[in-house]
Amino acid sequence: MTLDLLEINVNTMKAFASAIIDRPYGLGLAIALLLFAAPVFPQRPFSATYDSSRPLKLQGIVTRIDWVTPNAFVFIEVRDTTNTIANWAIDIGNPIELERDGWKRSTLNIGDVITVEGLPTRSEARQAFAKSVTLMRTGKRLFVPPTRRAAAPAAPAPRWPDGQIRLSPTPGKTGYWGASSSKVLVENTAVKIPMTEDGLLLNISDADKVAPFLPWAKALYEYRQRRFLRDDPYSRCVPPGGPRQFQMPNGFQFIEQKELGRILVFLGGGDRNWRVIYTDGRPLGTAAEAVPSYYGFSVGRWEKDTLVVESVGYNEKFWLTSAGLPHTEALHLTERFTRTDLNTLKYEVTVDDPRTYTRPWTGSWTVQWVPDQDIQEYFCEDNSDFIR
Amino acid sequence: MQKLALFVVFLLMMMSAFGQEGHPLTGTWSGDWGPTAAQRNHVTLVMTWDGKVVKGTINPGPEAIQLASVVLDVTNWTVRIEADGKDQSGKPVHVSAEGKIDDLSSAHRKLSGTWMQGTTKGDFRLIRD
Repeated sequence: MTLDLLEINVNTMKAFASAIIDRPYGLGLAIALLLFAAPVFPQRPFSATYDSSRPLKLQGIVTRIDWVTPNAFVFIEVRDTTNTIANWAIDIGNPIELERDGWKRSTLNIGDVITVEGLPTRSEARQAFAKSVTLMRTGKRLFVPPTRRAAAPAAPAPRWPDGQIRLSPTPGKTGYWGASSSKVLVENTAVKIPMTEDGLLLNISDADKVAPFLPWAKALYEYRQRRFLRDDPYSRCVPPGGPRQFQMPNGFQFIEQKELGRILVFLGGGDRNWRVIYTDGRPLGTAAEAVPSYYGFSVGRWEKDTLVVESVGYNEKFWLTSAGLPHTEALHLTERFTRTDLNTLKYEVTVDDPRTYTRPWTGSWTVQWVPDQDIQEYFCEDNSDFIR
Repeated sequence: MQKLALFVVFLLMMMSAFGQEGHPLTGTWSGDWGPTAAQRNHVTLVMTWDGKVVKGTINPGPEAIQLASVVLDVTNWTVRIEADGKDQSGKPVHVSAEGKIDDLSSAHRKLSGTWMQGTTKGDFRLIRD
């Protein structure tokens, strides 16, 4: 059981637990409530869970390995200087990504002694995110968080018989779009903004450099940042609408249905959602006409080798990225997808929401092709935090 | 009784912990205002944000009162609302309310504070639907 499950409200939870367990049938009630409550917080944002400012080093004996998505855990017994033993839960990341990088569940065994360098949780829980795991008997480093994966051999971007760039695999091949070069969206400027990988600013006064916020939006963005992004709707398995869908660790795939005049985007994250981009020439319409949704209403066209997609009709229930960028139903996105070669997709998005930002602004990143593989099964609710 | 209260608090926390959507004031807010705990008047407050101003209506329908101004202070999430309408007897009445948003991260966030309607002063409590 993950130790920081209810870190936000620890004191209240203690009082609550004491209160109900003392009642007749209290234990049953408590179990029923926990079962009910579990889906409410299925996936905490990284920065809300782990404190990158307090690196730690632990050495202990492996007592359990939970090889489950989205995060695998290794449990170790750690003996401190007073000979007291404590159990620690070590988050080693997404097992699908680990397997892609060559690691397996059998890489570690019960009884192995390991050294973990990582980050503790923000709570008192004995849980840490591993930056590295070293097997002491061999000295070999295991489970190093994946860096940029080896790409397929360099080659030009594939094309359809009509010469148009192909975003999907060629016949007889597999592959999908995987790791993005950034998990945050900031305005394309020369300014480097110090922040964590999931967009937590190291200096809150840098908020103005992220995007041209209206005052309310900046205040709300800062509010979310000050709460370490713990209010992220994605942590409740709300779909990753907007640009964020192209930053999810489980990747995405294009299904180009030319005969139907549409492109489907299959998402590996966000509960295997899909999105439709119509390429049959139908009009975009306006945000006011659309039924608000997570992925909006999208129409696309090709401008030379770039797929240009315009979308409106978004609801307000998601964040544009994990870092807490707000928006309203007036949001209009213009996305440009350019496959510059076999392995690289350039993604550029222009955010136009005059109720949230003072002017349209543009951010971009690249996404790497994962050759010879398909998107793996992933469901947000199936979180290791809550199935143990 | 204390245990029951704790239980209710817990459930409310679980239900309202997350869910911030768009501009903090947009949406439909329901609750009441009144000079005392016993004398309460139902209030439905609907507000929209067009990118420049917050517009809205108190109690949409035949007795609706249009908001004249809404000022949101984002430094402390306080709100000042001014409106002019008519009371039940048809006489002009000015409404002035000052409140604070709580549970900003929740879709069901709260807005509460003081409410002045004509010469009657009281408090109000609203929850976003």
